Amino acid sequence: MKTMLIAALVFWTQWAMAAGDSTTIFVSQILHDTEKTYAIQQLMAAQDPQVFPLLNAMNEKKLYLLNNQAVTTGEKTESADGTASYEIYALYPKNELLVNKNGQPLHTSIDALTVVEINRTDRLLLNGILPILQLFSPEPAKRMLAYGQLKDSHAPHRIEMLQLALARETNPDALRAGKDMLFAIQLNTATDAQAAKMYIDSLAENWGDNAPVFLSDYAKSKKVMADYAGQKAVELEHRYDFLQKVQNLFSGLSLGSILILIALGLSIVYGLAGIINMAHGEFLMIGAYTTYCIQTLFTEVLKMPYTDLLFLISLPLSFLVAGLLGLLLERLVVRHLYAKPLESLLATWGVSLIFIQTARSLFGDLTAVKTPAFLAGGWAVSPHLVLPYNRLFIIGLTCLVVVLTYLMLYRTRLGLQIRAVTQNRDMSACLGIDTKRVAALTFFFGSGLAGIAGCAMTLIGNVVPDMGQTYIVDSFLVVVTGGVGKIVGTIVSGLGIGFFTKILEAFFQAVYGKVCILLFIMLFMQYKPKGLFPYKGRLAED
Amino acid sequence: MEKEKKIYYLLFIAFFALLLPAGHLMGWVSINTISLWGRYFCFAIAALGIDLVWGYTGILSMCQAFFFCLGSYGIAMHMLLKTSGAALPEFMVWNKVAALPFFWVPFQSLSLSVILCLLIPSLLAFIIGYVLFRSRIKGVYMAIITQALALAMWLLFLRNETGLGGTNGLTDFRTLLGLPLSNTYVKLGLYLVSLLLLCLAYFACYKMTHSKFGKVLQAIRDSEPRVNFTAYKVMDYKLAVFVVAALLAAAGGMLYAPQTGIITPGRMDVKASVEMVMWVALGGRGKLKGAVAGALLVNFLYSICTSLFPDSWLYILGFLFVITVLFFDKGFVGLIDTLTKRKEPCY
Repeated sequence: MKTMLIAALVFWTQWAMAAGDSTTIFVSQILHDTEKTYAIQQLMAAQDPQVFPLLNAMNEKKLYLLNNQAVTTGEKTESADGTASYEIYALYPKNELLVNKNGQPLHTSIDALTVVEINRTDRLLLNGILPILQLFSPEPAKRMLAYGQLKDSHAPHRIEMLQLALARETNPDALRAGKDMLFAIQLNTATDAQAAKMYIDSLAENWGDNAPVFLSDYAKSKKVMADYAGQKAVELEHRYDFLQKVQNLFSGLSLGSILILIALGLSIVYGLAGIINMAHGEFLMIGAYTTYCIQTLFTEVLKMPYTDLLFLISLPLSFLVAGLLGLLLERLVVRHLYAKPLESLLATWGVSLIFIQTARSLFGDLTAVKTPAFLAGGWAVSPHLVLPYNRLFIIGLTCLVVVLTYLMLYRTRLGLQIRAVTQNRDMSACLGIDTKRVAALTFFFGSGLAGIAGCAMTLIGNVVPDMGQTYIVDSFLVVVTGGVGKIVGTIVSGLGIGFFTKILEAFFQAVYGKVCILLFIMLFMQYKPKGLFPYKGRLAED
Repeated sequence: MEKEKKIYYLLFIAFFALLLPAGHLMGWVSINTISLWGRYFCFAIAALGIDLVWGYTGILSMCQAFFFCLGSYGIAMHMLLKTSGAALPEFMVWNKVAALPFFWVPFQSLSLSVILCLLIPSLLAFIIGYVLFRSRIKGVYMAIITQALALAMWLLFLRNETGLGGTNGLTDFRTLLGLPLSNTYVKLGLYLVSLLLLCLAYFACYKMTHSKFGKVLQAIRDSEPRVNFTAYKVMDYKLAVFVVAALLAAAGGMLYAPQTGIITPGRMDVKASVEMVMWVALGGRGKLKGAVAGALLVNFLYSICTSLFPDSWLYILGFLFVITVLFFDKGFVGLIDTLTKRKEPCY
């Protein structure tokens, strides 16, 4: 008995080794011989998951030789001089990322690799197991797609292959998608109620993108626990809707904070000096270009490596640059137009045309600023709710700016003077306030705030010459709705318009949302013609 | 003084009504130049409306380009329907629109189109004006809200599903009244019609501003509360002049579309309205002559500058804006007036 067992064991090991050996032989045949058809057929028949990465590379025409080892290329990186290099994955016997001596991923140009030619007929052989092959692709996006396609495929051993693939899965999103599919397949093959319930719970727990669809499909199939699945599906939908609402509110908050950042300076300047500054949006553009210039100056002219510090120093610098240009504009043009809002509107519109054209001839039509690494990505509150860091940063920045502005207006001597001039210019002048100086400083401050807003805007969009125009009309609406020269009014109406826009956009399309907002504001002005927080007093209108 | 003025008018009419067409018939002036001036006349008609509203009444409306485009779009719809005949207009076929949208149907008849082209803008102006003037919105608030309105309408017209051609607008019209638009004599005819309408509009506005109605408008501009205290219904006057301005803009727009051959939402964006106001400011607001002169001069300058030095047009326009507002408050015509008046003895 014992000898028989030993004999069987020896035989089995030898057979297994032989099988392993034969795989190696077939692989080497594919890599080095010209006749590959037989080897491919044998490998496919063996269904050994170890060779799937290799077969997948063949299918994608990305099979190469590096030091006589089968490899494929992964993520592409382009260096500054335009040459492309790739991450390299070994394929067989182990599928892994190749690293250099320092443990960093190895990067090689495509020329260093020898292409293994596979002809078309041989490649077509793989079609039969294509859905399974893709599970072993080096790119997470392709793997996610492959997981999704498994549902309708009837490949043999798909559950086993899926489990094998999931065991090696490293990307969290792909893992969720894969598990989603695994549980769904298992659920559909489950026979007793307890197993079905377990899989339903797992599906709901995992909450992949397709989970509600799978559950509601299962609910319609009238199998065991179908009602329970339906119930879970509805629950998931509700949770998803709720998260969408949260996301929408967050977008509203983000839009509102941008509007506040722009409208704050506008409102103070208008309240104090009766100036409608149509070029205010252009100071935003100037702030954005300042950020761009600082980045270009340090990385390309001075050849220093890019750091996130560059963005942080551009924040105060864009305030300064925009502020100083604002001061220049005040001295040259606006000074002559105090308390003539309509004239100032037209003159500053002309100034904005000049600014836009200057920016266009200096920088061209489209440039972009690199987002700092610490603001890339987002805070994943839950799988279906991701709050981008750059938006969070802008909201935080707005809070900071609002607090600083408040302190400036209500805790400093200059702020006191600004408020005095806003309320009554002549009386303040009588009391010895240099109203012209105050007005100039206010203009500097207001333009600087727009500059900061511009610097922040580089985080969420391109830098283009007419970027200021996009927001200027909206921010004027904020000023008008909030009441002129009032911080509280600007904050409330900025947030209000931001929220309303996003909520209406959820119901209608963006354009109709905007029309609705406008109608709403026009109706609102019927009741509060001077905005939410007008100055109280008995000033005659003329 | 009166005689001198009349000479200017006669010179203007003689030059544009006789000299230019004669020059064309002699082969000195190309038909494109004629058509170009025809378009400028359309702008000048709209500018007259802006002058009434802004120069005489002191209401800065930033959505006149929208009314202008409403007129253009109306007549363009009619011409497009006549061109395509029984079939749908081409852009609808591309957008996979199955049947003619209901608001296109009345535009199949010319008389109805003309009526609608004038009625829709004036009705809209009435509604907007009623809502805004009722709550005593004026000055800057009025400017900003009308500007936002222009922005919203522009966005609406940009969409494909509003059935008005989206970004590409309406184009490819061939006939009006059964006459082919590519014919030089039709172009010349349109030019003369535009000129005639401009003269008529000018005359009507002149009468209006010199009547009691016009005096009240100017009183409103100078001090609205005082007019209110003397028991005039300020709102009615403002509303009336706002509607008249919209009508003039729409009339200008109606003649503009057949002469240009295309109308796109780009004509009604925020910039377009500000530019229209700027024509009046440059020419001299509060003077009808100024509005006409401003519209003609700025557009003439535009066509010269864009062909000579295309990149610098925005600089030129920007500097013109700033310099006019800062130094020539009364505009071009005002400048000429002060220069000529200087010869008279001072009081």
